[in-house]
Amino acid sequence: MSFSFGEPIAGGQGARGWDELTVRFEHGMDLARVRALLQEVKERAGTPGETISAFNLVAIYFSSAAYERAQAALEVAGRLHPSRLIVLIADRREEEESVTARVSVVRSGGAVSLERIVLTAIGGGTRHLESALIGLLVPDLPVVIVWGGRTEGALLRRAVETADRVVIDSGTRVPEALADVAALLARRAPVGDLAWARILPWMAMAADVLDIPNLREHRAALESARVVCAGDIGAEGVLLGGWFASRVKKARVEVVVGPEAEVDSSMPGGGDGTSITGLPAPLGKGQIAAFEFRSPRATFTIRREKMVLVAEVHGDDDGGVIHRVRLPPETPGRLLGLELKLLSGQDELYAAAVRAAVGLLPGKSA
Amino acid sequence: MPYAPEHDEVENPLRKGLRTDSLPEPCALIVFGASGDLAHRKLIPALYNLALTAHLPAAFGVVGVSKSPYTHAEYQAEMREAVGKYSRSKPIDEDVWRDFAAGLRYVPGSFDEDSTFQQLSATLEELDRVRATRGNRLFYFATPPSTFPTLLRQLQKHGMVRPPGDSRFTRVVIEKPFGRDLASARALNRLVLEVMDERQVFRIDHYLGKETVQNLLVFRFGNTIFEPIWNRNYVDHVQITAAEELGIEGRGRYYEEAGLLRDMIQNHVLQLVCLTAMEAPITFDADALRDEKVKVLRAIAPIAGPEAVAERVVLGQYTAGQIAGNDVAGYQEEKDVAKGSRTPTFAAIRLNLDNWRWDGVPFYVRSGKRLPKRMTEIAIQFRKLPHALFGEGAAAPNTLIIRVQPEEGIALRFSAKVPGERYHPRTVSMDFRYGTTFASASPEAYERLLLDALRGDQTLFTRRDEVEAAWKLVDGILKVTEAPGAPPPRPYEAGTWGPREADALLARDGHAWRRP
Repeated sequence: MSFSFGEPIAGGQGARGWDELTVRFEHGMDLARVRALLQEVKERAGTPGETISAFNLVAIYFSSAAYERAQAALEVAGRLHPSRLIVLIADRREEEESVTARVSVVRSGGAVSLERIVLTAIGGGTRHLESALIGLLVPDLPVVIVWGGRTEGALLRRAVETADRVVIDSGTRVPEALADVAALLARRAPVGDLAWARILPWMAMAADVLDIPNLREHRAALESARVVCAGDIGAEGVLLGGWFASRVKKARVEVVVGPEAEVDSSMPGGGDGTSITGLPAPLGKGQIAAFEFRSPRATFTIRREKMVLVAEVHGDDDGGVIHRVRLPPETPGRLLGLELKLLSGQDELYAAAVRAAVGLLPGKSA
Repeated sequence: MPYAPEHDEVENPLRKGLRTDSLPEPCALIVFGASGDLAHRKLIPALYNLALTAHLPAAFGVVGVSKSPYTHAEYQAEMREAVGKYSRSKPIDEDVWRDFAAGLRYVPGSFDEDSTFQQLSATLEELDRVRATRGNRLFYFATPPSTFPTLLRQLQKHGMVRPPGDSRFTRVVIEKPFGRDLASARALNRLVLEVMDERQVFRIDHYLGKETVQNLLVFRFGNTIFEPIWNRNYVDHVQITAAEELGIEGRGRYYEEAGLLRDMIQNHVLQLVCLTAMEAPITFDADALRDEKVKVLRAIAPIAGPEAVAERVVLGQYTAGQIAGNDVAGYQEEKDVAKGSRTPTFAAIRLNLDNWRWDGVPFYVRSGKRLPKRMTEIAIQFRKLPHALFGEGAAAPNTLIIRVQPEEGIALRFSAKVPGERYHPRTVSMDFRYGTTFASASPEAYERLLLDALRGDQTLFTRRDEVEAAWKLVDGILKVTEAPGAPPPRPYEAGTWGPREADALLARDGHAWRRP
């Protein structure tokens, strides 16, 4: 059994704020100076000797703006799972060349629980980032990479080779990008996906419904499913459909467009593929509005009513609402914290869902 | 379509591999003793936190039953205050509380009267209609043991107990103390099992709900490096301490009846012994785990007869003293405690486990009230070095300390070289602390246990044979220490680690208590 209870408060103490030190390199980089800076900032925090780290958390972005949007989530997740957080921002658009290192720590429970090193490289300085990263990793600890870019390219391939886990967010991209994720998974990449964490309540609710004793008879007879996305088809809806298709192989599964969302908010992160923050509270365009699956004698419907998921069954003797759960609050870092619980290897359930989801994309057959 | 057991044979295709545990089925939880301390401090705050963390189904309701004359609204207000005061998450989330309170009912009345159960029955039917709790019932006996027979009979009489195969489940959670000796525990078990099946009975020991106690299983059976040395070949002895700074906190009437052996040793302390000493279960399910615990209890050499008790048991009773700079009264000056009382508030016991793994390794356990600080720990003391390479006594034996509370964690003490020219070993500590390594708040023990009971998972609850085996051991001691003419418990000053005789118990074996 597993438990996740709210946001991190270590031993009843809040984490102490940042005390940041900065160094800028015009040509090349001197990692010894970055390490010295880290030591200095830890001494300023008062506990130079005691640092708790569960893993290296590496976040890679291609603009400072993208990092700023994700910053809160990373820090919360980093504190929830004490770590060395290394942020690499590679902005090749500038002509000038430089690397700036910003170093800070957070204390909680009497020890340093988060070391943060942000390396911002512009222009030609970006070529130093990959080797700098290797020098800054804490030895013997798992490496988790949070990838804020497109799920393709040479850098991602190398990241996948070195990391114990690569966390992406396919929910911020068009559904067709799931094909790139499937390609990564086919190479046994240890991919985690915030979109998967987001649709977990839908999957859990569907599974719960079939655990109700007098509905168990439908387990063997599921024949079809339909995912309704608000206003447009979103990757999360396709992923949910893929999950069902991978679990119930004989079922017909479709993903359809339903009415526009009540509030016209776009997909998380504005669809630019960079945000790893949680969903906005109102139902956004492309997000899942309802999930329906059927057996010959019953139709199960799970729909989202603001922040509550409601499950209903029709056609069975009992009828009516059978389950209602409040969706967990999408606080910054919660989703990332969920994904960080699995630190190595491939989530086979997710991999199968992505493979099946690709089959649901337009032009493919389920 | 009604439930049929054969439907269970088809695996839920949507459950497999999902990284989430199932929500409990719709259910009404009935708390007998609803106006008591346990309901205020633990049960209702735990249920609120389960609601807050989305671990409860929406189709859920709570009915409080006790003599106090509350209305539904008054009880809801009272419980809101209790949650505000005792919940681990504050402030109260008004939306969650509103949802939770909407399913909170109260039935006033005596357990002897049929009208109480008729009203309860009507309230539960109303909850089934309004909250869709579907006839599932979890009864919680948060009442003195003397009420258990009445409650069981009344539930049976009013048709509120369904058989285990029924689609609507009936379960009962029974608080400790489960009996006051072996005979009464057996009698209570017989009575419970006349009314229900063992699969429906959840005997609660809240120690098993503690995260660190569960971690003991992961620590032992989730690592390869400890199990090979977890035996008589490497372990010299084991010390288990469950110390409380507090006295009896106005519960003189209860404590005079119970005493330390019944209050702590028979349940909490022996559970810690079981988890420390047990073999790996073949699977991680309720019966496999409990089978192994029962084997440990059966392997403990009985302590029966005055000689065995005198040799292996020390009982104590606190006198006035000082704790944390404050004067505190002696046990016999506490409210509702008789002058000349012979009730023990401290016990130190040497347990011998007669089995392959632990033969010759003493397990020293101690527990007491008004000790210098509140702490529970298990210390595994490893054997001395076979050869003193750095001088006799220079390198202390290794110790592994599992801190159950407070500052939950695990520390390994080992020798390291003091920097300098010579080889001076010094004992240093490698420390894992839950609070810093996992920076998330752990659920309260009652949250975990209530959730398990709602889900029907008995793994962390004690089984009939387990309870009786524990009582059998303690009963042997009680028969001697409570016999007429038995010596009174040894006095110890509040704020000390118990009577001197407790030190002598270990000194005889060449050991000494740790000073945590």
